[in-house]
Amino acid sequence: MRRFFRIYRILAAQNLKRVMEYKADFLTGAVSFLIDQAVGIAFIFIIFSQIPQLSGFTFEQIVFIYGFSQIPKGLDHLLADNLWCVGYFIVRKGDFDKYLTRPINPLFHVIAETFQVDAIGELVVGISLMIYVSGSVNLYITPLSVILFLIAIPFAALIYTAIKIATAALAFWIKSSGFVIQMVYGMNEFAKYPTTIYSLPVRLLVTYIIPFAFAGYYPALYILTGNDPLFNIGGTVLISLIFMAIATFIWHKGLSAYESAGS
Amino acid sequence: MIYAEHLRKEFKKIVKEPGLKGSFKALFRPQKEIIAAADDISFHVPKGEILGFIGPNGAGKSTVIKMLTGILTPTSGECRINGKVPQDDRKNYVKEIGVVFGQRTQLWWDLPLTETYSVLKEIYEVSDEDFKTRMAFLNEVLELESFIRSPVRTLSLGQRMRADIAASMLHRPKVLFLDEPTIGLDVVVKDNIRQAIMKINKEEQTTVILTTHDISDIELLCDRIVMIDKGRNVYDGSLRELKAKYGQTREMHFEADPNAGLTPEKLLKGLGASDEHITVECDRNLFKVRFNSAEIPVAKMLNHTLSVTAVRDISVKDADIEEIIRCLYKEGADGDE
Repeated sequence: MRRFFRIYRILAAQNLKRVMEYKADFLTGAVSFLIDQAVGIAFIFIIFSQIPQLSGFTFEQIVFIYGFSQIPKGLDHLLADNLWCVGYFIVRKGDFDKYLTRPINPLFHVIAETFQVDAIGELVVGISLMIYVSGSVNLYITPLSVILFLIAIPFAALIYTAIKIATAALAFWIKSSGFVIQMVYGMNEFAKYPTTIYSLPVRLLVTYIIPFAFAGYYPALYILTGNDPLFNIGGTVLISLIFMAIATFIWHKGLSAYESAGS
Repeated sequence: MIYAEHLRKEFKKIVKEPGLKGSFKALFRPQKEIIAAADDISFHVPKGEILGFIGPNGAGKSTVIKMLTGILTPTSGECRINGKVPQDDRKNYVKEIGVVFGQRTQLWWDLPLTETYSVLKEIYEVSDEDFKTRMAFLNEVLELESFIRSPVRTLSLGQRMRADIAASMLHRPKVLFLDEPTIGLDVVVKDNIRQAIMKINKEEQTTVILTTHDISDIELLCDRIVMIDKGRNVYDGSLRELKAKYGQTREMHFEADPNAGLTPEKLLKGLGASDEHITVECDRNLFKVRFNSAEIPVAKMLNHTLSVTAVRDISVKDADIEEIIRCLYKEGADGDE
């Protein structure tokens, strides 16, 4: 385990050095990210300028949920961004060979190779929004609820990572799965809002099939209301473990189906 | 050391008719075809040997190398290296091998070369002390000093190849797989790399499997060659045996005195050799005679030539290995039809 952390640190440091080699690229990324976030928040403002409440949630509560949903998303983005490249080109171009000839777990290796600093933007925006509305929403705060809420965060992030692993691994069979990742990952938009605003099929979809609701709305709902910790927090932990198990299973199946590329 | 037994690897391929229309058809009603990129490949390599693994483009060399290195899972058959099956215990297995794919790089593209080595040091758990002596050795053999602080993307191809070989040798592998290590390099760099491979092989008893299209690589480096074509074994043996088997051919070049009026017919007359053992080409006064030295001894050929004409400059060359291999490749292709 210590070795894992050591290698992670070293690989991530390499990536930071790389980012610093190309400063202009990094700055452009940071700016475009901020614009993206601003649009998201403006959207909520526009909705609430028309209606006072959404499914029984106040404007501030919605902002809180939105802000919280950015944290697991940002953590996954920070630590596991390289999976996108697996789906888009690492497998297709045969560059995955490299990971298979090194004496460390290829999944770990590929993930550790990128430390995506852009993600700090998501984390900063998310935390700022939560702080900004924290005075005007009632939070259910007890020692236990805070602990449960904090525990839920890494598991919520794991849901993102699991979904990316599973969809990226499809590239081992279909060669390029970047757009599959994009399509499935794009459904994280549903995590930002209460599931009660969706129709039943959509609600079931984002709860159990592509369970982004557990990576945002449900844990946030718990800290807002204190309701149903078993489902809101326990569900997050359980769902993330189940999806991680499925994802690594698909990944390992994929490794033996890997066909490399001609050279 | 290395055992490959009946290795076979199949790829599914979707057959497309040409053009956009064909692509659409393939999208909705794909016609699948199974292609065996490697079929029943077997060979053994003893410790410390340099094996030349050759074959024309698309013969399946890389596919076999990728099975041996654990990148691809064989459809059937088995390989064992150092008693290990690459696919079973990949993590421990790859500690014992080094891999260089000439057309790819495992170096960190955007960072100075030294960074790659310090990361690999951690990945392969090389101790500080070992790392130092190892870098000193590799530095000496591959002459990395002049560019070790430059970002990898700025290296020339020759520098990059040397850097890649060094990267694959950092953890003292017992087996080194080199897939076209001299591809695209100039003569001086090629020579440099060959020297390095020889030195590594000699000093550390590293077993080397080398694929190449460069005949000089084979002549200078390889104790033995395994040749494959269309996924199958074609030849397995030493270069010397190959030469003995196919290499009775000699080539004689000479320039005849224009006054003697020599023609190919005149040259052949009186030699008493049948057509299958000798061919004569001539371009004005320049003659190129290819003959089988088992049937027509070199001395006889020389004497005969000198008796029919006066020559300026005459030479007899050994069979060209390139020629032999061309024959073998062609034989493989003909045998197929």
